[in-house]
Amino acid sequence: MTRKQKRLAVIAGAIGFLGAATGLTLYALGEQTSYFYVPGDLAERPVGVGERIRLGGLVERGSIQRSDDTHVRFAVTDGIETVAVRYNGILPDLFREEQGVVTEGAFDQNRIFVADTVLAKHDENYMPREVADSLKEKGVWQED
Amino acid sequence: MSIELGHFALVLSFALALVQMTVPIVGAKLRNDTLMRVGEPAALTNFMLVALSFTALTFAYVQSDFSVLNVWENSHSAKPLLYKITGTWGNHEGSMLLWVLILVFFGALVAVFGRNLPLSLRANVLGVQGAISCAFIIFILATSNPFARLDPAPMEGRDLNPILQDIGLAVHPPLLYLGYVGFSVAFSFAIAALIEGRLDAAWARWVRPWTLAAWIFLTGGIAMGSYWAYYELGWGGFWFWDPVENASLLPWLGGTALLHSALVMEKRSALKIWTVLLAILTFSLSLLGTFLVRSGVLTSVHAFATDPTRGVFILGILVLFIGGSLALFAWRAGTLTAGGLFQPISREGALVLNNLILTTATATVLIGTLYPLLIEAVTGDKISVGAPFFNLTFGPLILPLLVVVPFGPLLAWKRGDLWAVSQRLFLAFGGGLAVALLVFILVDRTSVLAALGTGLGVWLVLGALTDLVIKSGLGKVAPAVAFGRFKGLPRSVFGTALAHAGIGLTTIGIISVTTLETERITAMQPGETVEIHGYNLRFESLRPFTGPNYTEDQARFVLTRVTGKAMGEVMSAKRFYTARQMPTTEAGIRTIGLSQLYVSLGDQTPNGKIVVRIWWKPMVTLIWLGSLIMMIGGTVSLLDRRLRVGAPMPRGKAAAQGARA
Amino acid sequence: MFWILAAILTFVAAVAVLRPFAVRGGGGEDAIAHDIEVYRDQLDEVERDAERGLIGRQEAEQARAEIGRRILKVSQIAEEQAERQTNQRLTRLTAAIAVLAVPLVSWGLYTITGSPGIPAQPLHARIAEQPADAPIDELVSRAEAHLAESPDDVRGWQVLAPVYMRLGRFGDARTALRNIMRLSGETAEMKAALGEAIVGGARGMVTAEAEDVFLEALKLEPGEPKARFFLALARAQEGATADAQAIWREMLGDLPEDSPWHAAARQALVRSGDAAASSERLGPSEEDMAAASDLSQADRQEMIEGMVAGLDEKLRENPQDLDGWRRLIRSYIVLQRPDAANAALKRGMAAFGRDAPESLELQGFAESLGVAIE
Repeated sequence: MTRKQKRLAVIAGAIGFLGAATGLTLYALGEQTSYFYVPGDLAERPVGVGERIRLGGLVERGSIQRSDDTHVRFAVTDGIETVAVRYNGILPDLFREEQGVVTEGAFDQNRIFVADTVLAKHDENYMPREVADSLKEKGVWQED
Repeated sequence: MSIELGHFALVLSFALALVQMTVPIVGAKLRNDTLMRVGEPAALTNFMLVALSFTALTFAYVQSDFSVLNVWENSHSAKPLLYKITGTWGNHEGSMLLWVLILVFFGALVAVFGRNLPLSLRANVLGVQGAISCAFIIFILATSNPFARLDPAPMEGRDLNPILQDIGLAVHPPLLYLGYVGFSVAFSFAIAALIEGRLDAAWARWVRPWTLAAWIFLTGGIAMGSYWAYYELGWGGFWFWDPVENASLLPWLGGTALLHSALVMEKRSALKIWTVLLAILTFSLSLLGTFLVRSGVLTSVHAFATDPTRGVFILGILVLFIGGSLALFAWRAGTLTAGGLFQPISREGALVLNNLILTTATATVLIGTLYPLLIEAVTGDKISVGAPFFNLTFGPLILPLLVVVPFGPLLAWKRGDLWAVSQRLFLAFGGGLAVALLVFILVDRTSVLAALGTGLGVWLVLGALTDLVIKSGLGKVAPAVAFGRFKGLPRSVFGTALAHAGIGLTTIGIISVTTLETERITAMQPGETVEIHGYNLRFESLRPFTGPNYTEDQARFVLTRVTGKAMGEVMSAKRFYTARQMPTTEAGIRTIGLSQLYVSLGDQTPNGKIVVRIWWKPMVTLIWLGSLIMMIGGTVSLLDRRLRVGAPMPRGKAAAQGARA
Repeated sequence: MFWILAAILTFVAAVAVLRPFAVRGGGGEDAIAHDIEVYRDQLDEVERDAERGLIGRQEAEQARAEIGRRILKVSQIAEEQAERQTNQRLTRLTAAIAVLAVPLVSWGLYTITGSPGIPAQPLHARIAEQPADAPIDELVSRAEAHLAESPDDVRGWQVLAPVYMRLGRFGDARTALRNIMRLSGETAEMKAALGEAIVGGARGMVTAEAEDVFLEALKLEPGEPKARFFLALARAQEGATADAQAIWREMLGDLPEDSPWHAAARQALVRSGDAAASSERLGPSEEDMAAASDLSQADRQEMIEGMVAGLDEKLRENPQDLDGWRRLIRSYIVLQRPDAANAALKRGMAAFGRDAPESLELQGFAESLGVAIE
């Protein structure tokens, strides 16, 4: 190969690599991001079975049912709609009734939300930011 | 009075930074030696003033002086002394002051160690450092003044946050900042080079130790943050691809690329313009990280929009420095002469490949971190880009880099022989393959990734060792000669080998934990036993315990091998801090070899059992051990004579030696 | 004093700027010479590597040739470079501007951001100077420190729990009440207080958790008025006004007229729209009970007295507590009861024995506060 050909090969290789990286990134952005919903959003923007989303809201009062093993059921509400959630594992330290929570997972056939992650991020009001934002928009929760 | 004096010292250092920013650069432009020399005493005095200011604030914390708003908001008279001190930087205002303190500290270091730099280069570097400190000091004074006062002063402070009372969290930010801010020196050198329109031969030699020092601190900061999250958050994750974590990973990736490209520039005078650009980009990523963490934009774009003063101010600084430096680059890069040529297959070629992959990987992390902000700002939708995105993009991009790492140090400069190098690495490759097969056959036949990943790690470690073996000539010459050569190898060779081996160990750790980790979640009551990975864990008792400012339920577990051999106890607890009404989980961690058993407690079930989550985390300690070895490698490399002085021996000495010869 | 120090700092900073102007600079080392040194050093390195056999003979030769070329190139530039000049007038002008800028900018900016008039006020110094200022917070934090050391002191928790409620620190109140029940067993009264603390913490909402606690209180003592009141409030908050009113009416019926809960129930009835109750005299409102943010002077006095009485009681039981006596004496001075302070001093000295070192220390302390034994 001449020097020019070599240089071309190198440049082609680099462009190929960058192209592959761009393609991968675009694909991953399309497939691997999850949208954030509060229960009231589900009517406007339906979510299919198995589609990964993040569901946030308040843990409905009196809805937490612990089984004798490690499964937990509770309901997430934004004061308008309520969604039943199933989770297997240890709930975060700050998980409480009527406190904000963000769960990540997908709906099953019975429209029960099967969460594989439950977050109750800590800030002054025990309210994850995105939940607080959404609930404030809906006028359910006021900061004082 | 001490407080106001600290406040005044900060204001004064702003005035002095203004001088430091303008006079030396003007001097360099006018070729006036006297004006150029102003930078040095200005940088030293600036450090003294900011240190005074920081000491005054720390003093206010130690003395619980609640006439200082910042102390009142973030401290409490009942805090232990250690956490009163660390509380100084446990909040926004104090941490920004720490940021500036570290910045002027680096400026002072340049002034002290830069005496043998060409005068105009030193003047321009200190001038740019002065400009950065100017921007950040005025940011502090205008939007986040830690010396704001309260009159009359309240009698008690407001904060006793137990989460912040952790030594790991207290040491973590300073380390991280040393890394972030350390890259400012490389940045200043880059800008200075652009202003002057020429790159000294010593330039790369100068940039490399500063970058290396910053890189070591940043590596330490990231590893420490990761370990803190691992043991403190109670679910055994070591990396979450959280935006805050990404903010520290981005400059690390950029800095790693910079280290390597500066090497090419130093040794071969090639990649000059690219190295300058990379120095600018790396510090820009540090600034971006500061912006992301400090402006509140991460928690919510709305929160940022409703209280924008701080965010907009930092954004302004960001635009000014990144935009300004890139514009300067676009304008002046043409004046820098491009350097040496080389074949694609050569050490330079390998380092270019390293840079290509690292910068691409940096770009994907950057996109993943900023994309949700962009979407929220544009469409209002809230999306999250989590671990799956990064695993899918960052993973496949970085893997090829790890595969080719061992080739790099063995290739010759300018024109390399890939075939010869492959032959030399044959043993290392065989070792990696053997381990991969062993893992596949003996440990887990279902996970190909586990086998390949572990093999890859072993390949990296053995490849690094191969480099040392070949450079010392072991096997080719008599052992005594080889040993002599081994001792005589430049420290940077050891540094490279250690850092590359460290990456290998970290890779093994990460891959093993993510693919071979086993987990049991079960409800237990005292007396019950659960088996995990060849160990029996018996739940012995649950008893309440009262600590100094918390109460906790301590669960005692007895660990035995399945064969019956006793392994001692594991304690795990659910802690409740009374003053803050805050529960935390204290994980029980037992290190066995390089692996760990991780026990964490959950809630009580209706029938009185307690949910217990147990993980077997194989080789997990290698993640941080590998980071530690990388840091050691960096330190060894930093101690290399040529880097330590940054420039060659004084001419007199060299001439004397020449005369004798 | 502050201004003197500030002036000294400013002076130091200005001198730092001026120093290079004062020192006659030696000839500037020029950049080219530097470059050549670097290249020489690189040549040495190639030499060393070649000796050690790290690089081949041919490679070393090539490297040497290339570095040689670089040296040649730099030397050519050096010859072309013009001599540098210094403009004396410009230098002096810049020096003057820079030196003036330092004090002007710093003093100007400081007058905007600083508060030179406020002295530093370290906590220990303030307390030592003006013990009378020691506010509730300070007393509470002392009690907290004490309880952190001996968390099994029921008396301490009992003193603190109502204080927390009045301060609106409901979370802490919950902890205190839980501790009281842990140490002295559950009573309906304590359960009801716990429920109230939970309600306070939820900004007046009777949460499910609070409701459970109130029900437990009623299990322990079916007539417990506070629990009944809040359970009714829970019904009202759910919208079941009739149920709520029924409970409140029942309370009006079976509670004595002078019970605060009688009044509270009537008030609640009025607010819930029961016309029959509105004609009657109004009592304290439920808000008064639920959350007290600011304490009046009288409340504060009363509370401090309560705490001091508790301390007094404790010292009767355990008199060998020098610190306790000090606090007690000082508290009485704060409460402007010098006789009581005097009596406390006597008791303290009696407890240690008249000539014990503790007694002498206590006496000295008391004298510093103006208490002396007649």
